[in-house]
Amino acid sequence: MSAQGFANSEQGDILEVSLEKIEGLLKGDYGVSKRTIGLLLLQGDDEITALAESREPDNMSEIKEIINYTGKHYVQPLSYIITLRRQEEASRITGIAVEHLPKANLAFREKLSRVMINPLTGVPILLFVLYYGIYKFVGEFGAGTLVDFIETGIFEKNINPWATQIIKPIIPWQAVRELFVGEYGMITLGVRYAVAIILPVVTTFFVAFAIIEDAGYLPRLALLIDRLFKKIGLTGRAVIPMVLGLGCDTMATMVTRTLPTKRERIIATILLALAVPCSAQLGVILSLLEGNPRGLTVWACAVSLVFLLVGFLSAQILPGDSPSFYMEIPPLRMPKLSNVFIKTYTRVKWYFTEIFPMFILASVLIWIGQLTGLFNLLVKALHSPMRWIGLPDQTAVAFLFGFFRRDYGAAGLYDMKKAALLNGNQLVVACIALTLFLPCIAQFLMNVKERGYKTGVAISVFVLFFSFSAGFLVNFILNILGVSL
Amino acid sequence: MKIAIVGSPNVGKSVMFNRLTGSYVTVSNYPGTTVEVSRGRAKIGGWEFEVFDTPGMYSLLPITEEERVARSLLFQEKPDVVIHIIDAKNIERMLPLTLQLIEAKLPVILVLNIIDEAEKIGMRISLEYLSRELKVPVAATVSTTGRGIDILRGRIEEYVRAGIRQ
Repeated sequence: MSAQGFANSEQGDILEVSLEKIEGLLKGDYGVSKRTIGLLLLQGDDEITALAESREPDNMSEIKEIINYTGKHYVQPLSYIITLRRQEEASRITGIAVEHLPKANLAFREKLSRVMINPLTGVPILLFVLYYGIYKFVGEFGAGTLVDFIETGIFEKNINPWATQIIKPIIPWQAVRELFVGEYGMITLGVRYAVAIILPVVTTFFVAFAIIEDAGYLPRLALLIDRLFKKIGLTGRAVIPMVLGLGCDTMATMVTRTLPTKRERIIATILLALAVPCSAQLGVILSLLEGNPRGLTVWACAVSLVFLLVGFLSAQILPGDSPSFYMEIPPLRMPKLSNVFIKTYTRVKWYFTEIFPMFILASVLIWIGQLTGLFNLLVKALHSPMRWIGLPDQTAVAFLFGFFRRDYGAAGLYDMKKAALLNGNQLVVACIALTLFLPCIAQFLMNVKERGYKTGVAISVFVLFFSFSAGFLVNFILNILGVSL
Repeated sequence: MKIAIVGSPNVGKSVMFNRLTGSYVTVSNYPGTTVEVSRGRAKIGGWEFEVFDTPGMYSLLPITEEERVARSLLFQEKPDVVIHIIDAKNIERMLPLTLQLIEAKLPVILVLNIIDEAEKIGMRISLEYLSRELKVPVAATVSTTGRGIDILRGRIEEYVRAGIRQ
């Protein structure tokens, strides 16, 4: 009998002797060695025990006796002893096979890794990553430089006039013409928003995300943020859907599947729907509040406060305990250009093929809504809540668009800012309300799909109510304090 | 003929699966569970193989549903080659599963994946010693870059050839 693969058991060892006896008693065919089956039986594996009971009608009682008898000879459970012996064997083999050469590089990486996890040093690093990764790169470069270039340089100067010129002689009816090149036309609005505003923002976000992912920063962020997340009923594991939510909440809601309990998945879904702005929104909001650092601070504080408060309250209300959290930490490494490129490419491709039709569809729906007057009715219905939170009536259009695509709504506000229709306070209030506002239709559908009809709709109604209340409150506070941003 | 890919989570199983199979991959739930199993085809040394990627497992004594499914697949599908993929730098912690697979008399090939990271932290692993001691073929790979994949294919081919001769 070869002991290979198990242990250097001595002859006469009770476990080994029992195992050999059991092997002798096993008559059925199990597809694997009798030794494996014998070991699993000794370790009390339910599935294999049930299998053996059906295949060993004559010998099973004797086998059970041997298992009982063997178990009594050891203080610890047999599974523990077997695992321990196997690990000893593995350690013996690796001890000979593996040679460790000293490497100075490791020390630095290990130090950097610890610095990232320690709250004292980790939080400044996180802020640094957010400032350069999100604010500078996505906000200023993506949503600023790139959007300006594509929108003004390419669309407004070239594509829009060109499309209008081509469509005009072909389609004589004003109403149908509007569908393509009108104020909310498929080309002038749908394609322009998708390509000029959303594409650069989302692409720069996914580049930033791929870099921090490939560098191995995310698991360290998970450990850093674990303690805070425990307070809001989540664990460090939720860091990936949350960071991903900064890219696309719809995708992030899908990724909440990786969370182990239903409770965590519900909390994460609520927070994503409410207080995590997606990259498209983020980009437009950052460019809306560009040059207004106080406004940006108020917005950031209000949204963070809502995130923590709602998370904390959900954790109190929803039954169940926070699960334990542990994670394997891969080493830090230099991000590889090809990895970053492939990750960004596949994500942008996925995202764009998913949202592009949505934008066109939104344009068509708005066109139908306008033609039938339904849209005006809805916009009018939204006027009073708008006034209630101190915003001009036109904002209603942006909010309604927001439902078709949240970023679409934020982009609508962008147009209003350019036309100087909003003052500083109104801009901040609108940004807060829109950040919190009803998820876009895609995310709404995803909520219902992942959380079920009842929970999905309930979350959406809650978010709708909450966003306006928060907008109202911020507007109220700003007015009382006499602050103008 | 069938190839099974086994190993604990996060060792690059899926990447290796994609390396070996290319396109024509089907993903289905294991009957009665939510655990997904990917299957694809590979052509190695003139043979057609059905390759399946098992859910992550740490031991043949299962704790999670994934591990139960992985074990059922291994026991029931009678694979001609079982590729056990481990993270080379964690070899000491992952070798016990190799020992269990060998003990079960499954046709194991041990793959030390992510060998570049192990080298980077100063580990030198003797493949010859491992192969001699365990009496199974051993290959070192980096599935993300493709390093060592042709050697692994060669090992699979030799293994199947030797199996046929017996």
